[in-house]
Amino acid sequence: MFQEVIIALSEGFLKTLQIFFITLVGALPLGLIIAFGSMSRFRPIRSVMRAIVWVIRGTPLMLQLIAIFYGPGMLLGYNIWGTGNFGRNAAVAVAFIINYACYFSEIYRGGIESIPRGQYEAGQVLGMTRPQIFFKVVLAQVVKRIVPPMSNEIITLVKDTALARIILVYEVIWAGQTFIKKAGVIWPLFFTAIYYLLFNGLLTILFWYIEKKLDYYRG
Amino acid sequence: MKKVIALLLALVLTLGVLGGCSKGGDKTDMEYVKDKGTLIVGITDFAPIDYQENGEWVGFDADMAKAFAKRLGVEVEFKVIEWNYKINELNDKGIDVVWNGMTIADDVLAAMEVSNPYLKNAQVIVVKKEDADKYPTAESAKDLQFVVEAGSAGEETAQANGFNYKSAESQADTLMEVSAGTSDASIIDLLMAGATIGEGTDYADLAYTAPLNDEEYGVGFRKGSDLVSELNQFFKDAYADGSMMETAEKYGVQESVIEQ
Repeated sequence: MFQEVIIALSEGFLKTLQIFFITLVGALPLGLIIAFGSMSRFRPIRSVMRAIVWVIRGTPLMLQLIAIFYGPGMLLGYNIWGTGNFGRNAAVAVAFIINYACYFSEIYRGGIESIPRGQYEAGQVLGMTRPQIFFKVVLAQVVKRIVPPMSNEIITLVKDTALARIILVYEVIWAGQTFIKKAGVIWPLFFTAIYYLLFNGLLTILFWYIEKKLDYYRG
Repeated sequence: MKKVIALLLALVLTLGVLGGCSKGGDKTDMEYVKDKGTLIVGITDFAPIDYQENGEWVGFDADMAKAFAKRLGVEVEFKVIEWNYKINELNDKGIDVVWNGMTIADDVLAAMEVSNPYLKNAQVIVVKKEDADKYPTAESAKDLQFVVEAGSAGEETAQANGFNYKSAESQADTLMEVSAGTSDASIIDLLMAGATIGEGTDYADLAYTAPLNDEEYGVGFRKGSDLVSELNQFFKDAYADGSMMETAEKYGVQESVIEQ
């Protein structure tokens, strides 16, 4: 029994990890683009970006998953996701990446805007172009400043992956829950907590290490 | 010592059997129920068959049981039983009848006097309305991507037919999948299908086809009971005067009623 549970939960947790890493790979860069958009000096772009961030942060991720996966079929009459598992995973990736990119973008924006104007002016005096100033002077300092809020958001992401089950992507919580119906035992559901705790423990250590590495200069 | 115990046990068992014989007397089951003035109906909570509304038992079977008791001139009493012990309850006279959407099967027929079937249930395949004609049988549907409720009779049916399926949390979730086209077909109870899809619901775009594994519901009495013929006559009369269909429509099971 125990072995059977461990196998089922581990399979579920692999799916959890898959959602986690795909979301990070997509959302980290997309968040930066959205951050630039919402700081743009061109007002329409800025307004559109801020409206998107408002909608995505203002509604539950669970609802976004349902809307993205079932919406096309139910509202437009054309299901874009197909009937296989690939479509489900793709829908999860799209929903999670958009959602997390919006949260990340605000963290990036906060980091970028915290850099004093004086540094940009100093760069200009030295004859640097705007991209040069951003990538060579500003970015490294931003990375350093946003590590604590980013670690918060990333640990939340690990737990949010459980929402994928709503569109039948079987992650670890689902795997634990099947034992209630199948065999009438409830402990596998609670046992999933061990997986989350271990992985989040690893992440915590990783972030602590990153913070220490970046602690070369206090500005 | 062992022999003595064996002897004593044999004696006790013999007495038990003799006692069982004498208890029945020569009263028929109908006289027994009429004399005590109540018909005790064994049920479980099972919408839309027997369920509680404002503290009162209602549902297709509950309403029919009330009408049957009225015809006998006795009070009706609903007693929630452990479904696995329905036969014991019946034989111990804890209840007088099992009337709770009971599927007629061999074990039931062997242990009870069972009425004529009055309601049919089945697992049915639900597909988009426009595809309904394409899948008249289980065989024709075998290449579809199914979605079923985890742990349900529908899941068993999908396994038995070798269908390719995903499991969802509820039968209702499976309908959303089919409606959105993210799965081709679902397998749910006919009774639920009758009440939740088609005209007048949000799932007007869905239809059900291909009943798999037909089941029929019957009412169970004690072996040898004369109440069975009375109930069969009651079903005939209620079907003839339309009151059975009326009750069925009230609970959305009209399409499953079996002609009496």
